[in-house]
Amino acid sequence: MKIPYRWIGEFVELGLDAARAADRLINAGIEVASVTPLAPDFRGVVVGEIEAVERELGESRDHRLLLCRVSTGRERYAVVCGAPNTKVGARAAFAPPGAVLPGGRKIAAAKIHGVESQGMLCSERELGLGEEHEAGLLLLDDGARPGADLVAALGLDDHVLEVEITPNRPDCLSVLGIAREIAALTGARLRPPQVKLRESAEAARGLARVRIEAPDLCHRFTTRVIIGVTIGPSPARLRMRLRAVGLRPINNVVDATNYVLWELGQPLHAYDGETVTDGTFVVRRARAGERFTTLDGQERTLDTSMLLIADPKRAIGLAGVMGGANTEVTDRTTRLLLESAWFDPSSIRRTSRALALRTDAAYRFERGADVEGLAPASARAAALIAELAGGAIARGVVDAYPRRRKPSRVRLRMSRVKRVLGMTPPRAQVVKILSGLGLPVKARDADLEVTVPSFRRDLSMEDDLVEEIIRVWGYDRLPSTLPGGAIALVSHPASLRQNQTVRRALVGAGLAEVVTHSFSDPARAALFRRPSGPPPVELLNPLATDASWLRVHPLEGVLGAIATNVRRQQSDVRVFEICKTYARGGGDTGTSEPRWVTIALTGARGEPGWDASVTLADVYDAKGLAEHLLEALGLRAGTGDAGALEGFEPDCHGTLVGDGGAILGEFGEVAASIRESLGISAPVFAAVVSLDVAGAAAPVPMRYQPLPRFPVVERDLAFVVGSDQALTAAQIESALRQEAGPLLRQLVLFDVFRFPDGRSSLAWRLLFQAEDRTLTDDEVNAIQDRLVRRVTETFHITLRSG
Amino acid sequence: MAHPRVDAIVLRAREAVAAAQSSAELEKVRVGFLGRSGELTQLLRSLGSLAAEERPLVGAAANEAKRELEALLDARLAATLETERRAERRRQRLDLTLPGRRPPKGSLHPLTRVHDEIVAIFAGLGFSVAEGPEIETDYHNFEALNIPRDHPARDMQDTLYLSESTLLRTHTSPVQIRAMLAQKPPVRIIVPGRVYRRDVADATHSPMFHQVEGLAVDRDITMADLRGTLELFAREMFGPRSRIRFRPSFFPFTEPSAEVDVLCFVCHGAGCRLCKQGGWLEILGSGMVHPQVLRNVGYDPEEVTGWAFGMGIDRIAMLKYGIDDLRLFFENDLRFLRQFA
Repeated sequence: MKIPYRWIGEFVELGLDAARAADRLINAGIEVASVTPLAPDFRGVVVGEIEAVERELGESRDHRLLLCRVSTGRERYAVVCGAPNTKVGARAAFAPPGAVLPGGRKIAAAKIHGVESQGMLCSERELGLGEEHEAGLLLLDDGARPGADLVAALGLDDHVLEVEITPNRPDCLSVLGIAREIAALTGARLRPPQVKLRESAEAARGLARVRIEAPDLCHRFTTRVIIGVTIGPSPARLRMRLRAVGLRPINNVVDATNYVLWELGQPLHAYDGETVTDGTFVVRRARAGERFTTLDGQERTLDTSMLLIADPKRAIGLAGVMGGANTEVTDRTTRLLLESAWFDPSSIRRTSRALALRTDAAYRFERGADVEGLAPASARAAALIAELAGGAIARGVVDAYPRRRKPSRVRLRMSRVKRVLGMTPPRAQVVKILSGLGLPVKARDADLEVTVPSFRRDLSMEDDLVEEIIRVWGYDRLPSTLPGGAIALVSHPASLRQNQTVRRALVGAGLAEVVTHSFSDPARAALFRRPSGPPPVELLNPLATDASWLRVHPLEGVLGAIATNVRRQQSDVRVFEICKTYARGGGDTGTSEPRWVTIALTGARGEPGWDASVTLADVYDAKGLAEHLLEALGLRAGTGDAGALEGFEPDCHGTLVGDGGAILGEFGEVAASIRESLGISAPVFAAVVSLDVAGAAAPVPMRYQPLPRFPVVERDLAFVVGSDQALTAAQIESALRQEAGPLLRQLVLFDVFRFPDGRSSLAWRLLFQAEDRTLTDDEVNAIQDRLVRRVTETFHITLRSG
Repeated sequence: MAHPRVDAIVLRAREAVAAAQSSAELEKVRVGFLGRSGELTQLLRSLGSLAAEERPLVGAAANEAKRELEALLDARLAATLETERRAERRRQRLDLTLPGRRPPKGSLHPLTRVHDEIVAIFAGLGFSVAEGPEIETDYHNFEALNIPRDHPARDMQDTLYLSESTLLRTHTSPVQIRAMLAQKPPVRIIVPGRVYRRDVADATHSPMFHQVEGLAVDRDITMADLRGTLELFAREMFGPRSRIRFRPSFFPFTEPSAEVDVLCFVCHGAGCRLCKQGGWLEILGSGMVHPQVLRNVGYDPEEVTGWAFGMGIDRIAMLKYGIDDLRLFFENDLRFLRQFA
């Protein structure tokens, strides 16, 4: 909200400049985003009085050109002017030779229609002060002194404070509200506007009536009546002020209500009195499906939760949000009904949001207007209208106030102040601070009784007052201590430790950790899930359709990261992520959030060195990394068949199975269709470990085994498997272990080789060792013979010789 | 103790050692004199054939000669080996400017680094980590935190909904509620986690980011304790010269509420690009837990008081590492990530 600084000065003595005042406000919790000089983009423009029209110079582009004599008090200028509102005696914006207009346009004497024009009389638009141009010159009050600088004459020698008011402080959504804060902070006295209301003999009560049929949504509704107004433009100074705060001047009546809205924070609405049947207001709920055209010309369909202002025949206003087109003030309006009311904040907010109709009025009502302040605001607006548009203000106000506000008092214990803050200002200071904010304070024993005025709806309990005290006293005066009391043992959830273990293991293995969004693109996610699979978690109001689901597959994030890097010419990517997927079912939210570690690799296996050729990562890297991280978690895993997750190539997809048979993770080559949809042309290998399953599995206990004391005997065995044999290394290994018995200490597959004809050779190194003696060659030879026999006979494969 | 027979052997041996050019030749000398059939060995072995009175004399001399020769050979061998090693090195001509062979280098995401740092600092102050779901109920995320439906305070956090009553949490504060419902005071927790807002991504906004919530509830917890705790945090996080500033603010679930700024650690308050000339950097929101929030979880605000704060991990990481675009965290460009290896 924009607040001109000099406007504040109308209600409080300003001992500080705008920037310093802004600092004080910020330190008291009123955010001031910026302090900007109004600084119009012209120089040397003054008030000129048109003393005489010397002669007509003929027509130019439909305008009658006149040669005027313009006075700036000291000097006189001959000026050619074609504006329709040129008239003798008027005071207008005048740019004498030497003045500079917006865009650096320098004014000099110039020949127009053969006559020298010494300067230029200006319109609003020419000065960059508004759009107005066709109506003619920017005219000033008759009181404006010729020769006076135009910037000062229009009140534009000012700064504008852009304040950002938190939702709890609707009272600060006005010039007066900010003035009240400055008064409280500086100790200056607040001078609210004094309204001098000259009312006619005719009573408003005889001219207007109010009936509130929904007292729950409208606690108070008042109207004043003004008869005999003349609608026209507002004076330049007032128009400029409205522009400075971002409002568009409309006409004197609407401008007056907007001016008071800004000044006092109370939204007001003026109806053309002739259009309101019987001068009677009915405040009621809308009927289901009722249609109503607001004054922006939009027809809107309402429901029964919305509040209407109606007359006995029809709706005439959407309460607290926008007036109706049917009762709008027009150029022909002479009789006004001026509404000043209080509406229920939630109702206004619902209505405004449901209709997507955000207005200044709704903004204030939904934060809470001042139910007592609305009557003075009505009087202030009536007086201003009478001043600007003439007319007689009928005597009194028609005031329906069915739910009268009860006085609100809060007891404040000084001990509570200390309890919450850890300190307390002296009691006298507390009293002064609260009084300064406009809260009457009475002593009650050691404590205080504070009366909360109607404009501070945010203050309802003791701690609210504590905040008022400290924010005015100064947060920088809070002492600095550490919490006392016993400290319980710090205990972090297991998930935190697991995450740290996983990260340490994988970063140590050379992977880069990624963090990706949890959103999923349904079009892409379709590739990752079976159509018959569990339903995805969808957002009701996504930012974009390509982010309207929550992640359905753990690999979405890492694959996205690979895609980004590949697109940016980085083809060797080794990344991991600790992430969640989101699924329906479970918990008090009806959803669950399984946790995963995902690994994805493409391109080179490692950094290329100067003495080694680059080798490409393959599925065994993905598998090995998953095994590595499971080991870090204390888990052993064997290889199982293809798992449950979609997204892998069918013939290159395995699982890692824990000792108890649970699937701890899956690995394989990412389905080509998926990576191609992401624009990745090289193969991608991935592994996924479920942290929920792995985290729940019992780790292999760490137990010391005595170190062997006798030498080890080493043997290598290589077998050749036929090209048509569906035999795995694991099968052979398991047979070797079984047959070898306890003397086999270690079994390592150290070479796999494929012959050109499709047969493959697998070579194991076997280490034999006894705990109680040195093994003899004969002993080991016997075992070896048994192993060879067992394997070759069981699997019908041959021992590789040589 | 000398003996002419022994002396002659020693003399020849010395000459042979002096003449040897390499460790291999020295080894030959050793074998020739001290080996199984070496001269000195042979002499010692033949002692039995000597006259009884000569035997101890020759024996003693030979043994002494053996020790002497061994020492001589060891010293020459060590020196020769050293010379040979150096010659071998020279022959290899190692170019030590070639890059060293390093183990693969992984990288922790910068958000993880900051997360871990924050958790460690608060663990040192007795705060345990608590967690909660990212998909939350409207009750935990808003209602229980004093943010009713149709309240303008909801505008402060534009929300992504899954249904009328479930949403993506807009802050980590709902975990305050879950934690307090689950335990009696005293409470000291911090809650790191993902949060979501319906904000279009730009340099300073993201529909998903990370927060850490802090909560301390006990019999006598004061706002001064909040200040002291956060001062300590700032010094640990941003360096010993750090200072913080409290500014009044509004959060529906705290009263009084404060925004907290840290003195810009680049310019120390003088004004620079990072702090946009302001001298201070906004890092978190905080305040005393609202009595109604305490009541909502069954605590008695007359019995206990508490404070809470919430800070953006992403924001702190941006400040700490000088990152000027929030989107970089989630793009995961390796050239970005590697800078945090």
